[in-house]
Amino acid sequence: MGVTVLQPYPLPEGKSGAHIIDHLAKRLLSLGATHAGQFLVDCETFISTPQHGTPARAVHVLHNSEYPASTFSIIDNGNGKQVALVADSIFDLLMLKMTSTFTSKKQTKIESRGARFEYGDFVIKLGSVTMMEHFKGILIEIEYRPCVTLSYCWEMIREMLQGFLGINVAKEYPTYFTTQTIMNAMGQQQLHAKQNDIYEPMDTVKQYLEHFTNYRKHVQIHGAMGGGASSVGTVGGGGPGGVLLPSSVGMGGRS
Amino acid sequence: MSNSVNISVETTCENQIREIAYDGTELYQPPPTLSESLAKCAARIDFSKTSLDNIKKEEKSAAAAADDDNKDANQFQESLWPWDAVRNKLKDAYTEICVLTDVISIAKDKRYLVLDPLLEEPDDTKPIVQVYSRKKAISQAAQVLLGGAERIRNAHSEQRSRNVSDFHIELLRLRQNWRLKKVSNAIIGDLSYRTAGSKFGMSGTFEVTKAEDALDDENSGNNTGGSANSSSSSSNNGMQLKASSALRVIVPSELQGVAYIKVITQKDQEDLCTAQVNLMGHGQNLTAQVGVWQKTLEFAQNVLFCKELFAQLAREAIQLQAPIPHVVIGNQIRATLLPNIQLIISLCHSTSFDSSQPAPINDHDHVLEHSLHQLLREVHYKNSHHPFPHPASAPLGPSKKRMLAGPTAADRDALLDMTKTQTILEQIIAQAQHIFMRKRTQYVLDTLARDVKDPQIVSHWNAMNSPTMSCVKINIVTHGYDAIGRTSLVIHVKERSLKCICRDGRVMRLSYEPQELRDLILCQINSHQISCLVSLARCMAWTVLSNSNHLGIGKVEPLGNASSCLLASPNSDRMIAVQIRCDPQIDVKVYIARSPRQDFFPSPLVPEKFWENLGGNFKEVRFDKIEGKSFLNKMEFLMASLTSNTA
Repeated sequence: MGVTVLQPYPLPEGKSGAHIIDHLAKRLLSLGATHAGQFLVDCETFISTPQHGTPARAVHVLHNSEYPASTFSIIDNGNGKQVALVADSIFDLLMLKMTSTFTSKKQTKIESRGARFEYGDFVIKLGSVTMMEHFKGILIEIEYRPCVTLSYCWEMIREMLQGFLGINVAKEYPTYFTTQTIMNAMGQQQLHAKQNDIYEPMDTVKQYLEHFTNYRKHVQIHGAMGGGASSVGTVGGGGPGGVLLPSSVGMGGRS
Repeated sequence: MSNSVNISVETTCENQIREIAYDGTELYQPPPTLSESLAKCAARIDFSKTSLDNIKKEEKSAAAAADDDNKDANQFQESLWPWDAVRNKLKDAYTEICVLTDVISIAKDKRYLVLDPLLEEPDDTKPIVQVYSRKKAISQAAQVLLGGAERIRNAHSEQRSRNVSDFHIELLRLRQNWRLKKVSNAIIGDLSYRTAGSKFGMSGTFEVTKAEDALDDENSGNNTGGSANSSSSSSNNGMQLKASSALRVIVPSELQGVAYIKVITQKDQEDLCTAQVNLMGHGQNLTAQVGVWQKTLEFAQNVLFCKELFAQLAREAIQLQAPIPHVVIGNQIRATLLPNIQLIISLCHSTSFDSSQPAPINDHDHVLEHSLHQLLREVHYKNSHHPFPHPASAPLGPSKKRMLAGPTAADRDALLDMTKTQTILEQIIAQAQHIFMRKRTQYVLDTLARDVKDPQIVSHWNAMNSPTMSCVKINIVTHGYDAIGRTSLVIHVKERSLKCICRDGRVMRLSYEPQELRDLILCQINSHQISCLVSLARCMAWTVLSNSNHLGIGKVEPLGNASSCLLASPNSDRMIAVQIRCDPQIDVKVYIARSPRQDFFPSPLVPEKFWENLGGNFKEVRFDKIEGKSFLNKMEFLMASLTSNTA
């Protein structure tokens, strides 16, 4: 378990997602990486009915094939506060029982799926993001296993990304790691630099949620403007009736 | 007569019909007249009952009967009979009463008859008879008491005189140490490890019986097991114990005797190390308190344990797929640790009680012995103890680590590691391999330390290590120059390989060949000499012109390369060149050059005189003749002697 950074890859015009993924995979293999299975990260959202005074609360339930025995969930209370939880896979069954309070928005089930490569101390995953069978974009995940603090290895990860992706990666830390102001124990506001914290698997999942939310919002924007080839069907509730993702138990399920 | 209505009064009951005439008329039996009914009643009187009422009734009836008799004397002759009896009895009664009256009147006169109260006469028994009867009763009671006291006295004296106590005390001691239960008439015990989690099929039940006479003990103790009669088979290790116990235990025939498991590491028919695994000598020393049955049962339990261990190992040996397959022959298992090194595990079970036991092999490996015991005990423990799931509704089965894997976001490698289990045989092979590697490494280091005197090789072995890994830290120092420099490296000794970590961060993985480690240490000695020389030169104010750890000069050596160093004196009039090769012996060559060169002669090509300062040829120094205890010492002296005193 090491520092993981997500990098969305901008799709050039005219090329399909599968073609790009192929191209990048070939690059990695020629660099000397070894193909090591598949990966899957998916997210399902449950919304509570908004009552007067309180905004709607959302529960996001995520699975990551890198941690097959766990289910991650984040509660968003509408006011910007988020509570995160790492639980056993049996948590999915618990959510089934909560259908009275939380209804599942099956249309916004989003996942990132693709091949997984191991390159020395790096683990690189080329993921294509799909929402209800519609392709949304390409999300690259890179993990540097020996280190647990981003500030020590950010430069190296950036160099690696720039090397095989060929795009320009910004010098600043990714948006997830930007310095935030938090209240410390004494009630004062304090600048907290996230890049110096010990990295946890929950951080990976939170980054995924951030990117997935972006993808969903892009869809909303596209849907509102009436354009975009891949943006049909979220607001209108289209697509086939969603199947609830089965709880991911067992280690070999996703590899 | 007035006009009165005739009222007929009839009795309800009809009279009995006496006769029916031929013409239909019925002759009724007339109802009994009053006198007849009276006669019937009188006949029913029971004169044996003397009660006042009856007597009055009798008088009345007697009077009535007398009147009636006068009336009906002729007609009813039958009625005279009841009245006759009545009359006689009344007559007798009257007579008696007259007599009584006479007696009372005479007694009242007090002249001829006196009424005196009757004295209570005492029992007509003689006192002597009473004494006799009492004496007999008391003597009987005394007999009972004496008999009881005699029994208790006998029991007490038995306890004090004999070594072995009563059967029940022995049974109590037996029950304190072993599990017993009563099945119909027999006492059955269990000496297997079933309650500890063992799943072995062989039953370990033994029977407890009362001991026979002491003589029978001695005679039947000579018979070895397997006999059907219940008074034999006390296995007391071949020694004729004088003290016999009040109870005897009978163990099944397959558990009799003494067994142990022998573990030998063999290198081409040569015994390197041996281990004996058995349970003797473990547990509390109970033999002082209890009888011979404790030893019997302990031996039998030991046999059972060894059999289970061997059966488990044999089963695993057949199931496991090893690169060189394990061989199971009879009661021996052969496994290959390393090429030419074999591990032999054999089950030795001797049922004959010969006192000449084979002399214990001196090279005991207690670690392997203990390990095998612990491994089987661990298997038992896992069978009986299952980790409890939290919450209680979670499935029962996964270990605690696996249950926490979800909430702690364990990744795929960690989960895969959790699924890997090792059998007992694999574990003991790994441990034996490690022991062997460690011994080999120790041997290599010790011989090197003995052979190489110049820099000293100091090895510190970690006191804490695991059964499959040990660490040793090696310091290479030159005596007297420890502050100048020291080369350290850490070697991790694993089961089949070594990992060497040098101070500069290089990690090298070596195989099990001892020569590789030797070569590595020699190379390290090489680089140690040069690096210490560089530090020494700095101390002596000599300039290090260059040094190299791997010169590519000279013939290709089987082992590494030469390392070298080039030094210049403080005022640059001397140069020293040192070359160290690590052949099988460390070979040092030292050359000196001086400048200005002595053999410079101006020539037409090089006319100026100052070219003589360019430095002369290097001449070899006979380094072995230089004074000094070690290489660094000699170099120090050399540098000191070559340092000139010019200002």
